[in-house]
Amino acid sequence: MLVITVVLGSAFLYGPHRYKPTYLKLVTPKGWPKPPTNIFAKNPLTEEGFQLGRKLFYDGRLSKDGNFPCASCHQQFAAFANLDHDLSHGFSNRFTKRNAPALFNLAWMKEFQWDGGVNHIEVQPLAPLTDTSEMAETIGNVIHKISADTAYKRMFAAAFGDAGINSQRMLKALAQFTGSIQSYNSKYDKVKRGEASFSVSEEYGYNIFKAKCDACHKEPLFTDNSIRNNGSDVNTNLADNGRMRITGNAADSLKFKVPSLRNIAITAPYMHDGRLYTLSQVIEHYRNKINTKQPTVDSLLKNKIVISNQEKIDLLSFLYTLTDEELVKNKRYEDPEGKNKVFIHQH
Amino acid sequence: MKTLFYLGTVLLCCFLNNVKAQHKNNKPENGKKGFVKIIFINTIHHQPVVLFDSSYRNPFGEDYTITKFKYYVSNMAFYRTGNRYSQKNDYRLVNQAIDSSLSFIINLPENKYDSIGFLLGVDSARNTSGAQTGALDPLNDMFWTWNTGYVMEKMEGTSPQSNAINNKVEYHIGGYKGENSVLHYLTFALPGNKPLIIQNGKTSTLIIEADIAAFWDAATVIKISETPVCSLPGTLAKRIAANFYRLFKVATVINEN
Repeated sequence: MLVITVVLGSAFLYGPHRYKPTYLKLVTPKGWPKPPTNIFAKNPLTEEGFQLGRKLFYDGRLSKDGNFPCASCHQQFAAFANLDHDLSHGFSNRFTKRNAPALFNLAWMKEFQWDGGVNHIEVQPLAPLTDTSEMAETIGNVIHKISADTAYKRMFAAAFGDAGINSQRMLKALAQFTGSIQSYNSKYDKVKRGEASFSVSEEYGYNIFKAKCDACHKEPLFTDNSIRNNGSDVNTNLADNGRMRITGNAADSLKFKVPSLRNIAITAPYMHDGRLYTLSQVIEHYRNKINTKQPTVDSLLKNKIVISNQEKIDLLSFLYTLTDEELVKNKRYEDPEGKNKVFIHQH
Repeated sequence: MKTLFYLGTVLLCCFLNNVKAQHKNNKPENGKKGFVKIIFINTIHHQPVVLFDSSYRNPFGEDYTITKFKYYVSNMAFYRTGNRYSQKNDYRLVNQAIDSSLSFIINLPENKYDSIGFLLGVDSARNTSGAQTGALDPLNDMFWTWNTGYVMEKMEGTSPQSNAINNKVEYHIGGYKGENSVLHYLTFALPGNKPLIIQNGKTSTLIIEADIAAFWDAATVIKISETPVCSLPGTLAKRIAANFYRLFKVATVINEN
């Protein structure tokens, strides 16, 4: 026994790697359901993995021409959506085909993309990375570029025990960063915790929300993560039939994922193609403009949603309470090299 | 044909169930291990496929070249009466362009084996469990990024009969979910009913031939002039996949004594 202890001890002290990561734990906020699966079960969450993922998220080298890191379409000040862009910019002045979704509370999400086509957080980055309208790069090239950087060698070793760089590790590190972005400190959350109180209008708005919106935008995540047709007319230029592209099933035509309403005030524009620029227009859609003739329109929307003008004002007041300033200002989510601010002006 | 297919499915299920039921007894009797070298030979009319430079003709009079031919082989298992030895977590990407991918060696307990099987493609468990490495690394270009899943096989080439851009012929066949699944477990008797014999420390060889000629010579007619391209899961992919299953057979077993 003593011999074993001595041998193990010296291996630890003098071994080639002193792999001793700092393990982290994802918070399940009070009153929340547990995540549907533990996304870190086979990818232990560590400070080193998180920091590596953070660096990768902000690194332009993940794109073909260096200009399009993940963060170019997922901006922290917009809750990691793309502020003011219906469609985002990608390689060679191309446009993306859909509106960039906000990124937070991803550990509670089982399917990714507007059509739910991606089944695991680790493989999600491969879609924008290889899409010719987005980052337009190959996985091999990315690995080649980052492997030449000694800073990455150090960080991969710190995160995974040796300096080996491959796509699996890169994707796991990215998942550690994006999967750790959490939003649970909005005014709404503080009211729920008894740390703040709603104004009269916000309170009315909350009641209207619970009566008329909560079926799909379910608390506390403000989405049930289902895929539905909300009765938006087809944009014939984009000809995007949503979920049907994944399943090939006509019954899934024009269905898109229900987005979370958390941080909704700072993630304009709205809908899968960013067609609506204000929350007021979104409410107008649900009370007047749902195309109920579409055969796949959601059963909850067949009769549109009745919302009076006063209710609309109160509902808007409530939606503003879902903005989480702590997410937007959290230094742990910032570009580690401070370059991110460029993107505010670049596009 | 449908009846035959049905009968085949039932028989296969019975066979698999039987194997499963007896799997618990699967212990190497004496702990001795040998090796089997698996060699894949990709052919057209039993001649090795020459990428790019050779032109072939299918029974419909369509000329074609092959520029890419690669497929996944996983969950390989070796059977003998009432017993099974299976390779777990073993995924191989056979790629005609890379010589070293055409053969590999695996350990097996000392025994006589009557038949073998493998899954063409990647099982659904690996399709749903995040980033993978090795043969399953997405940089091998066998992974759909927008609709998660591994491609089971890719066959690409050109044909003057193709109406696709640049006369392309591209069959990227995959899909693991529900009714769109192309996953198919293939089992093979060994030629001449001669067993594969594994002896301690020795290496026997098993040659599997995949003959592309069988693709065109199948009950489901796939003509280049009609369907030169298939690149997503669905009904067409399933029809084409059924033709691919027919390519494979065990050509030779060489036992080292």
